[in-house]
Amino acid sequence: MSKRFWSWTLIALLVAFSFIVLVSSRDVAAEDGASSPLVTGLVFDPQGQPVEGVQVTVVALDQGDQLGSVVTQADGRYALAIPGSVPDRLNVELERAHFENKQIELSPASIQSLKGGQTVVMSDTTLSRSIGAAFWLAAAVFVGVLVTVALGRLHNALAALAGAAVILGASYLSHIVFEGLYVFDFPGALGYVDWNVIFLIMGMMIVIAVIERTGIFQWLAFMAYRISGGRIWLLVPILMIVTGVGSAFLDNVTTMLLMTPITIQIAMAMGLNPLALLMPEVMASNVAGVSTLVGTPTNILIGSYAGITFNDFLKNLTPGVLLALVGLVVYSELAYRRQLRQGSATSPMLLEKLAERARITQPNHLKKAGLVGAGMLILFVFGERIHLLPAVTALIGATALLLWIRPDIEEMIEAVDWTTLVFFIALFIVVGAIQEVGLISMIADLIGRLVGDSLILAMLAIVWLGALLSTVVANIPFTAAMLPVVGYLTAIVPGAQNKALFYSLSVGSGMGGNGSLIGASANMVTAGITERAGYPISYLYFLKKGLPALFITVGLASGWLLVRFMLLGS
Amino acid sequence: MSGIVCAIRGGPSSQPTIDRAVALADETRLALHFLYVVNLGFLTHTVTSRVRTISEEMRQMGASILLMAQTRAAQRGITAQADVRQGEVMEEIAKLCHELDATYLVLGMPGGEDEGNVFTQVRLAQFREQIEKETGASVILSEESRA
Repeated sequence: MSKRFWSWTLIALLVAFSFIVLVSSRDVAAEDGASSPLVTGLVFDPQGQPVEGVQVTVVALDQGDQLGSVVTQADGRYALAIPGSVPDRLNVELERAHFENKQIELSPASIQSLKGGQTVVMSDTTLSRSIGAAFWLAAAVFVGVLVTVALGRLHNALAALAGAAVILGASYLSHIVFEGLYVFDFPGALGYVDWNVIFLIMGMMIVIAVIERTGIFQWLAFMAYRISGGRIWLLVPILMIVTGVGSAFLDNVTTMLLMTPITIQIAMAMGLNPLALLMPEVMASNVAGVSTLVGTPTNILIGSYAGITFNDFLKNLTPGVLLALVGLVVYSELAYRRQLRQGSATSPMLLEKLAERARITQPNHLKKAGLVGAGMLILFVFGERIHLLPAVTALIGATALLLWIRPDIEEMIEAVDWTTLVFFIALFIVVGAIQEVGLISMIADLIGRLVGDSLILAMLAIVWLGALLSTVVANIPFTAAMLPVVGYLTAIVPGAQNKALFYSLSVGSGMGGNGSLIGASANMVTAGITERAGYPISYLYFLKKGLPALFITVGLASGWLLVRFMLLGS
Repeated sequence: MSGIVCAIRGGPSSQPTIDRAVALADETRLALHFLYVVNLGFLTHTVTSRVRTISEEMRQMGASILLMAQTRAAQRGITAQADVRQGEVMEEIAKLCHELDATYLVLGMPGGEDEGNVFTQVRLAQFREQIEKETGASVILSEESRA
């Protein structure tokens, strides 16, 4: 009875979710029943991007009366009805924080049109940016968060939360202290939070929490050893493939957390330096994560912002990732050739122990997780046809899995990394602040001038800027800040509308993590575990091994991007 | 007073420590206990929710490190016990010394002022003093004893 009940509950839930998704994806057209004459127009920033939230007011010049006021929509559009009789002279006044105010007097012809009950369409208005205290405050906070995260002085989430608190605190206190400090209000800040990203990450965390307890990674790692037959040159690529596949569909940090201890034990049993296996593994994890929408947090950010689907990532990036992985395997075999030759002193006792432990601990859960995972994959791939957002797929998958296996819900809730979710929310606010005050537009403008009309130059600039900067700053905040910049370049660079620049950002920020120890969280947790096994990975050691890998993998992947978008076309 | 505690973390730098403890056990005929402490402090700046997941894996890794140490001791004719614990490294070492009423505690010398290492020179000196005062066990630092 209980099984049947849960099956029906699951079906009902899926149907309900699908219904909600279908209903919510419909466009709701706004209707305006006003019959008064209208003044309409569009407002843009100096980069030609529409400006939302501009207060547009129509003032009767002779009397000084305000006749009406509206706020521009996301596309920069406004439509303002003029009630009653139309005066002889009218001014349209535009006002928004972080922009210079503007006043436009309507021409006599326009006044006549309004008097005749006709709609007047104003010519497009460009507002100039105003650089004030808020600009410097937001910029300083953003840099402060980047530096704090890079130095590891504070937990990532705490650093971003502190940044968001400073910006919001200053904005609200600005009325008392100094008005120039105002960045945005709380609803304005929340407007920058991408909830699709938050819910996608949360859903995937629940699925991962179930899978990671089944012992699958430990079993796979030991199978890799068995398949290699003790041949170390073969073991390296097999472990890289296992790690790569895991990282493409789960997250890199979890994959490395589970793979590192078992790899160290295999290496010890074979008399090998574990770093000869682990460095290729973690680098493969960073590279392979780039191939799918859910493989890295940076891809989740990019996919959500640019509307790039799971299929798009597979189609446009996977061949480049495979190419980069081949290059990485060759490099790893060469870079560790001395250590790989030394391994010989096998420990039969330890291998026996590892064989005993290498078993699927929860086969039933793994089977169910596999089925749900396959269902999620189908929804990720085909969901775009019904405008199914990846976040909804992740939530459906996570809920279905929880209902099916009925784990301890407290444990599952604990397994969700809430600090990461808080980090993302706070980071969106901090990045939103520099977007709000115009810093992002300025950077976009600068890069736009440098690359001119060349798509090739723009792609290479973004790939290599992303890759090299990811070695010194955390790639998640960097990517979050770069999204509007890349969005602007996509709009102005001829031929970039195929989103080639977003894929370039994905390759740069994802594979750039291999350049240094702090380049990716997976590097840090791997180093944390190896240090506790007596094999510390220093910053310099990682740089020495990782930087050549960065140049090889990013070089090969960017070569693929050029072939894909310049030779093969959109 | 009834045993020798030898705390290790694995890797090449632990080999002299293991050898020193084995030699001491051979010499004194006291029971030898190897100890590995799982400490997950490194996760606190990145993935705090993963502590539960990784604990068991780290315990198994610790058990393997100790198995290698036991094998090395067995090659010298010494049968050693192994204990994997989880928590603050210094606290757990002190606890085991208390529990076993240890005569000796064998530790490795830190290679440098590496922040990732629990035992910097200064902290090790303080810990040595504390252990000798609280448990009466003599602390032997493997590099020092070799010199």
